[in-house]
Order: sequence, then C-alpha cells, then structure tokens
Amino acid sequence: MLVGESSPPQTGVVNVVAVSDETPHGPAIPYVDPLGDPFLRTRFAVPARPVTFLRRERLADHLDQALLTPLTVVNGAAGAGKTLLVADWAAGLGRPVAWLTLDAAVQGPVMFWAHLLQALRAGGVTVPGETGFPVDAGEVNHTFLTRLAAQLSGSDRIVIVVLDEYDRVIAPEIAEQLEFVLHHAGPALRLVLVTRTEPLLPLHRYRAAGTMTEIRNAELAFTPQEAVALLELHGLHLSVPAARALVDRTRGWAAGLRLCALAAQESPDPEVYLKEFEAGHSTVADFLLAEVLKRQTPHTQDLLLRVSVLDRFCADLANALTDRTDAEPVLAGLHRENAFVEDLGHGWYRLHPLFREILRAHLRERCPGLEPELHRRAAQWLRRSGWLPEMLTHGAAAGDWEFTARALVDDLAIGQLLTRLCSDDLADLLAGMGPEATSPATDLLRAACELSRHDLERGLAHLHHAEQQLDASGPAAARLSCALLEVLAARLAGSPRRAEQAAAAARELQREVPAHLLDRHPELPALLLTHLASTQLWAGRFDEARAALTAVAGSPGGASTAIAREESLGHLALIDYLDGWPSRAERNACAATSEAERFSLPQPCGSGLGRLVLAAVAVDRDELGRAQALLDQTPDAVTRDPVTAAGRAVVTARLLLARGKARAALAAADPAVSADVASPWAEGHAALVASAAHLAEGRPDAAAEVLRQVAGGQPACAVGAARAHLAAGDRLEAVHALDGIAAEGRVGPAVRVRATLVRAQAANTAGDVATARRLLAEALQEARRERLRRPFLEAGPWLGPFLASAPLQQLAAGWLTPGPPARGEPLRPAAEPAPLLVERLSGREREVLQRLARMMSTEDIAADLYVSVNTVKTHLKSVYRKLAVNRRHDAVRRARELGLL
Amino acid sequence: MRYEIRIDGNMSEVLAKVFPELDHVVMSGQTILYGPVVDEAHLYGLLARCQSLGLRIVEMRQVPE
Repeated sequence: MLVGESSPPQTGVVNVVAVSDETPHGPAIPYVDPLGDPFLRTRFAVPARPVTFLRRERLADHLDQALLTPLTVVNGAAGAGKTLLVADWAAGLGRPVAWLTLDAAVQGPVMFWAHLLQALRAGGVTVPGETGFPVDAGEVNHTFLTRLAAQLSGSDRIVIVVLDEYDRVIAPEIAEQLEFVLHHAGPALRLVLVTRTEPLLPLHRYRAAGTMTEIRNAELAFTPQEAVALLELHGLHLSVPAARALVDRTRGWAAGLRLCALAAQESPDPEVYLKEFEAGHSTVADFLLAEVLKRQTPHTQDLLLRVSVLDRFCADLANALTDRTDAEPVLAGLHRENAFVEDLGHGWYRLHPLFREILRAHLRERCPGLEPELHRRAAQWLRRSGWLPEMLTHGAAAGDWEFTARALVDDLAIGQLLTRLCSDDLADLLAGMGPEATSPATDLLRAACELSRHDLERGLAHLHHAEQQLDASGPAAARLSCALLEVLAARLAGSPRRAEQAAAAARELQREVPAHLLDRHPELPALLLTHLASTQLWAGRFDEARAALTAVAGSPGGASTAIAREESLGHLALIDYLDGWPSRAERNACAATSEAERFSLPQPCGSGLGRLVLAAVAVDRDELGRAQALLDQTPDAVTRDPVTAAGRAVVTARLLLARGKARAALAAADPAVSADVASPWAEGHAALVASAAHLAEGRPDAAAEVLRQVAGGQPACAVGAARAHLAAGDRLEAVHALDGIAAEGRVGPAVRVRATLVRAQAANTAGDVATARRLLAEALQEARRERLRRPFLEAGPWLGPFLASAPLQQLAAGWLTPGPPARGEPLRPAAEPAPLLVERLSGREREVLQRLARMMSTEDIAADLYVSVNTVKTHLKSVYRKLAVNRRHDAVRRARELGLL
Repeated sequence: MRYEIRIDGNMSEVLAKVFPELDHVVMSGQTILYGPVVDEAHLYGLLARCQSLGLRIVEMRQVPE
C-alpha cells in the first residue's frame, strides 16, 4: 500500500483521534440520526465480498491512487462491480475506513451530514462533540462544515471516507458542502465517491489539477481474460476466444457476466448455453435474471420475488412475507451461491439493487396485487419489532392507514410523531392518506400533521372528529393522544383554560395507560407540560410556567425528550429576559440551543425561542450586528405559536428602535397573532415600543398615554411611563410611577438599571447633581456586570458630561465608553491618541488580523489558514494584547488607526 | 411531448411492464419505448428507471406529435 508515501498533514494540533484497532463492527452505536431512528448499522459496514469475487489487480492498483488524491470517483452503470471493487480495496487497506452506503431515507443535507459524522465515528475517527451539529431550518450551517474540515485537517492520519451509492444524493447543496469540506480539510481527507452518475462536484477542476482518481465504466468492464478467471470461480471453464464473444455480448458488464455464470452453471451444457446466449438479442440482465430465477426451486423463487419489496431483510422478516419458516437456510444458500442476495452482516441481507428492480417487475407480473399485501405484512412485522419509521413507510406503501395509524396511536407514539413530523418526508408520507380512512386513529394522525404545521383550524377539525368517535370507553392510549393534541392546539390558540382542562384529562388518562407504554415514551408527559407551560407563559403566569418548565428542562437527557427540553429552556430564557435578567436568559437560551445541537434536532421542530432571546439580550448589550445575525438565523416562517410570534415581535421592534427606525419598530411590534386570551407582557412590550417611538419623535404625552392603557403592574412598563412623564416635564409623576417597582422582588437588572437612570435624570432635572451622580454610579455598577449598554444609550445626551468626568468615567470605561482609561486624558475616543504599538505583530498574527477585518469567523480563519481553531485563538489573544484591545471589532479598528491593514 | 427511447436488446414483456405509460416494439435486437412524456421530471424518471434496470439506451429523441 502507498500509505507511507502520502504527505502527512501539516498542522500540529490534533483534534481528530484515530482509534486504529476499532473496527466498523464495534459495539452498538449509541447515536441517533436527526429523525430519532437508531442508525441502521448496515449503512456503515463495508460490504462483504462473496467467495466468487474476482480481485482485479489493475483496478486495485489504480484505486491505490485514491490515497494520493483528495477525490476519487468510481463511476459506472448499475451492476458494474463498483461497490465490491471499493469494498475489497478498503478491506485490504488494513485500517478503518469511514464507509457510508446512502439510501433513499438519507435525504437532505441534515440527514446526510448526520450520517457522515456517524460513518466517521464507526470508522474509528473520533469526532469531538464540539463539532456539534448546528442545524438551521433544515440547513447545515457554514460553521459546522468549517469546524468539521478543521478537525479533519488537524488529524494525525489520513481519513478515508467512502460514500457508496452517491447517486442517491439529489440535493445539489450537498455536493457544494462536500466540496467545501474536501477543500478545507486538505491532505488529511481522502474522499471516494461510488456512483452511477457523475457527481455535481467541479470535476473538471480536479481533473485539470490532477487531484482526482477516476475509474469509469470502460475500465470496470471485464476483459476476456478476467471473464475467464471469473467464470473459473463459478466452476466454468471457457477459452479466451469464447470469453471474448461473451464479453462482447455483455460489454464486459460484471452483473451480466455473473448472471451468465449462474445461468450456465444450472444448464446441462454450460458451453452450449453460453454460445446460445451470445447469439441472442435479449436485453442482458432482464433475460439472464429470468433464466436464473426459473432455475431456482418454486419456494426460492417465491421468496426472492416477495422480498423485492424490501430495502433490507432478515430471515424472520422474509418468513413473515412468505408465510413459511425456511428463509434462513434459503437465504444462506442464495448468498453462498452468490445468487442475488448480499450479506449485510448481523443477520441482515439485501438484494443487489439491479436485481431487485427486475425481480419487482417479475413480482408484479406473476402476482398482480400482491405488493400491497406484502407491504402490509412487512409493516406488521416491523411494528412487532419496534421499527416504527420503517413500519410507517411500508404501512403507507400498503395504503393500509387504518392499521398504520392504529399501530402508532396504540403504541402511544403520537408525541414521537409530533417531533418527527417536522421532517417533510413523514408529512409527505401522511399526505398520501386518502379520505377513505376514517377511524379515530387516522383522524388523530391527520390532526397531528396539521397541528405540527400550525394549521389550527384543520387540526382541530380532525381532532374533534376523532374525539367524537372515541367515547369514554375508547382505548386509553388514543384518548391520551387526543389530550396531548388538545394541549398543543390550546397552546397555538393561546388558551390557558383549554390547555389546563386537557392537561388535567391527560393526567387522569396516564393512570389508565399501561405503565410500560408510558415508560417507553417519556416525551409524552414532557411535551404535555411544555405546551401547558407555554400557554401559562403567554397569559403572564410566569411562576406556574417556570415551575413546569424547570421540571421538563431538568428531566433526564435522552433523544426522545430533547425537543421538549429545548423548548422548555427557550421558554425559561424568555421569562428571564422579560423579568430583566439578561445573563440568566442567555444561559438558558444557550442551554436550549446546545440541547438542539447535541441531538441534532432539525430547527423547525423547536420554536427557535432560544435564539430569539439571545438576540434580545444582544440588543440590550448594544451588539446590534450580533442581534441581527441571530434574528436572521431563526426560521422566518410566520408562526402560529403566540409566544414565539410575540417574542420575535419584541426583539425585532427593539432592534429597529436601537437603529433609530421608530416607525418600522412600531409596525414590527405587533405580533399579529390571534389568541383566546390577551398576553400582558406581549401587550406591555408592544406599548413600550410605541411609547419609545413617540418619545423618539418628540411626543412625550402620546408616549405616556399608550402605556397608561396597558394593564398595570409590569415594572418595565412603569419605567417606560416614568420616562415619558419626565420627558413631558412631569417629574413628580415620573418618580411616582417608579415607586411602585421597588417592591417587586423578581425584577432584574435590565429593568432596575433603566429605573435608576430615570431617577437620576429626574434628580438632574431638579438640579440635584449629587444625587444624579450617585444614582448613575449605582446604575453603572449594576449594568457593568451584565454589559447592559442599551439603557445608557436610550437615556439620552444628558448623560454625556457625567460619564466624561471622574469618578463615573472609570465606571463606564472599558465596556460602555471605548478605550482603556488613561488617567488625566480626555474621554472622547476620537481625541484619544492611538497608543504606540509596543510589540510588532508576527506574520501569522497579521494574516489572522487581515482575515478578521474581512469579517471572517474564527472557524473560517482556521480553515482558510489550515490551522486549528485553538491556534487561531492563540494568535487572536496575542493580537489583542499587542493592540491593547479586548474585542475583535476594536482590534480591527485599532489596526486601521495604526495603518496595519 | 412524445419521446422515443431506443434500448439495446430485446426486452421481455415482464420488463416492458415497468414502463406501463409507454408502448414498446421489439425490432432487430433493439426495443423501442415510445409514447407521451409529461415533462422533464417524467423524462429523467424514465432515464433513472432504465438505469436501475441495467438497460442500455442507444438513442433517445423527441418525436413530432
């Protein structure tokens, strides 16, 4: 092998650790894919070679070039022998290979990358958790790809990734993303694509640069000599001229030759048989397969035809389709004879994709109408074995929605279904359900579908239909499913009363449902509590909501409850933010997003509340660019969920206000959701924005008026009213408005600082400079811990002279007013002379700085410079130190001042 | 749109049924599938079907209505 000759990766920091003695057939893999299915291990196994596999040295030698070029494409028709060639080569490397066989279930970038990560893990490459899985609105984000590339490039050995059946990849963005990772991972990654069609990568560029190994159909074709050797393995002896005719007839096609051998083996005179075949004009595979098939025993034929409806099967599943018990020896025999059946390991088999298609055609011909029945039996078997997603696929293919829906409902899988419905494929599957299915279970399924896409009216219609049919004697699991959907519907309708009723009913029903069923579905109570708490939050009952949310957020971690935990943490973050505790809100919001990343949740499933709160906190800290970026990352879809819609309205309006766009803020402040009960905080914040807009445009009386109309008692609104009164010249009224707040224990710094600032302004207006200064010092001290800059910017220009003079100057310097304070110097940053650069920047530091100025993230810089993220961070630290700054923005500004850029 | 897809070899009746929307005729060692093709998606679907069955397309062309 040529391993030793390839150049080792250059970087010093190792992020990817090779575990060389770990084989792909290691212990069960604990990870789950984004849809919550246990990964099908067979996707990650290097396919086994049959005993009749012929190793062809010319191809193996050519494939060894794959170790020297970043990209290898093995490109050929179905049945050209691509997979076995690469599998044999990979097995001979003597080290783990990350292997992924794609199939129709791995659709879209999110699933693709989740599987690729899993293939890396199965291939003995440790993918550090910090790679995360940042997924936004069903898209894979750039940071994730950059991190992955950086980690691969930092690997201490070459990572070989084989993607088999790459032609299954349809989404063009996957090719782009793959190209990006391949480019940035550098020499540490070797990608081998096995495909029927040319991948959408810029192959011409790789060809021109000589950085691609390419094996195409013509090269895969058997030569007459190879055909002789292959037939030898099947016990057939052929002269080279005879083989030449055969190769001409089959065009050296591996599948054709293999079928030839099988058909000839069974015939009384193989030589004559092959001669006759050569002279014929039939389409090769079609004809030969029919020949081979008809030589099998009727039982075997029947089994082969029946399993052609399945992607993969084990003996027991095959028995379920044939109504017999002999699948195990038959399958083992077929595999041994290399006829049709491929061994996937762990007792699972599959048909060669080409043969499967043809066998299916034969099935339809021979047993018309049997296909749905076979799908139904497969669904029943899969249900018994607990393979819910596969059960669904086959139940849908059978068109047996009564069975499928009942199976799901009886298994109490409704919560799981709700979390999975976010994936479009499942929704598409359910869309195939015809109107003839009218059982309560099918109505529940429809209701779940509609509600998960926030269509309240249609969801409720189906739900009520189901409820009418399910009286009190109906199965408890079905009634519990109803109750869960009712709570969700109540949440979308903003109706705490209905949510509570349904939740109470659910609590009763949980006692009636068998305990083992509930134990299997921890997501159900978690979702119940979360949706209930969401309506309580909407109605402003923060304490009740917080208690329920805390319970869910603290529930034991598992993939099934991840969405409930993410949502709960997001809601908790919102409560903290509304109470004025930005740091607490930030912590909960970060916990929410990391929960989503840990379990690779597709973004549309969660409400994205965590990100909205992070954006809101960023506005309070006057990090407007960051706030905008976070806001842009949350799915823009118009949501029916009142809490999320109101949260988004608050953040958007606050951001616009901070940018001085009062009119636009006013328009954005209305969440435009219809809810059964009004939400005090949503109204309060809308009024606050309106009030601020009036103030900004010089109408203090109108500003006070809008706040007078909203329900009292909200500290934030009281502060807003006080500001308006003060602006209108009514100092006493302002102070009076503030006096109500002090008693409120839960009020956090974001509100308190604003209140203190209004008091300070009031004192200043009254000429009491000493009190104003004391209050300002108080506000500065409290705000500094939370980096709350926005309240001071809101407060107006009167602050300026105070902040410019000692001792307040010191309190403000460094976080509120720019630059490190130098004693005795004027505060104005423009007037501040740029300090001399004491230490010269190194070449690498300068490179990092230049990229920083181009707004590249740390990860992007790392990928661009082919170094690890930690190395970039180290460079950044010394750049900051040398420039005497502590933020990247300041670093760039300072570097510009000093003419370094 | 009407198309004509010429495939290498004589296709069996069983396999021809995989293309129920098209007519077929076998002549001189080739099979011609012909008939209406709804749109591009249908066309590519037909190509994929040929590929998955290991059929070799010799020629494909649009024919006048």
